Amino acid sequence: MMLSPAAAMSNRVARIVAVQTAALLMDLARLWLWAGAAVSVPFLLWGVGRVEPNARDSWAFRPLLIPGVLLIWPLVLWRWFLLETGRDDWAKRHLPPRRAHAFAALLLAVLIPLTIIAGLAIRQGPPAGAPVLLEAPE
Amino acid sequence: MRARDEFFIGFFPIPPGLRPFLAAIAVALILLFAAAGWFAASTQAAPEEAGFRFDFGRQEVTGVLSLHPYPVIRVTEGSERLAAGRTVMLSGGGKFAPPQAAALDGRLVKAGGVILRRGDLDMLQIGGGDANLAAAEGEAPALSPPERLGRWRLEGEICDGKCAAGAMRPGRDLSHKACANLCITGGVPAVFVSAAPVEGAEFLLMAGPEGGPLPPEALAFTAAYVSVEGEIERVGDLLVFRIDPATLRAL
Repeated sequence: MMLSPAAAMSNRVARIVAVQTAALLMDLARLWLWAGAAVSVPFLLWGVGRVEPNARDSWAFRPLLIPGVLLIWPLVLWRWFLLETGRDDWAKRHLPPRRAHAFAALLLAVLIPLTIIAGLAIRQGPPAGAPVLLEAPE
Repeated sequence: MRARDEFFIGFFPIPPGLRPFLAAIAVALILLFAAAGWFAASTQAAPEEAGFRFDFGRQEVTGVLSLHPYPVIRVTEGSERLAAGRTVMLSGGGKFAPPQAAALDGRLVKAGGVILRRGDLDMLQIGGGDANLAAAEGEAPALSPPERLGRWRLEGEICDGKCAAGAMRPGRDLSHKACANLCITGGVPAVFVSAAPVEGAEFLLMAGPEGGPLPPEALAFTAAYVSVEGEIERVGDLLVFRIDPATLRAL
């Protein structure tokens, strides 16, 4: 099936936007991970020993934390800041998350099926274009 | 103890007041997972039945072997399931071409193995050793030259002929692509699965523009829906699609 010039142009634009969005997401992910790497070096060399007494003089486990720090480095920075400055109140530490559990559970119960259904709904189907003879054999 | 204070602990007997609730949850979970499984399965493509046809038994045919673009045999003396005049793609075990084929290009050979079949796509998986692929007595007979069918633009998917013929379920996305590329680089014939039949065929053996194997740049387009142009010719009963890689376009 031949597309009209307008439809073909619209297809091309949609593909360019999709590719640029994908490239942007990849760049953001790369930036996030590099920031995590920048946090993991000082945190695992010095920080973790300063804020967690059990970690002092223990080195073998620290490389194991690198992947986690790469992913959740803002939380690591925030906790490091609280513990370093003595603002941490351990008794209240888990209260806010507990209060949010019910809401989070409901939200996930809706979001996860929605994400799966949306992913399946927008998945590309097989092409429908009929074969086109461009040049008959001589 | 009031009922509202009952508490479930896995290693203690279930508190009587919780039993109906837990039974309902258990049944609901079983139904939910069954429904989720059915839903996920119902969204998958359901290709026609395909796979190894061990039920046909070992097939032994005689014919002329060609390695261009990929190993095929043009059958001159057929078997019960592979008649004379057919052109059948060949593969070895795993993700490789039959290793015995390298020294037999253009010669009359006797080939034995098991059929893989999906629709009009047949492939013969050759067993190991000379007993399964060796030169036959006599000269290779003259075969009809390829019949040119013109230049076409097709939409569909580049796959390897073995998995597409049923060695595996046709998959999707990255693992499907990696699997197909391993097969194709291992010398298993590449096939084009056309969105609609071309001259009656849904599966076409693929070749590069000069009739050799697929050029490396085409591997970036395997296992995705593409549009591509190229020359089609009929070799025996098999269509060969010599693609122009410059026209490959992801859909």
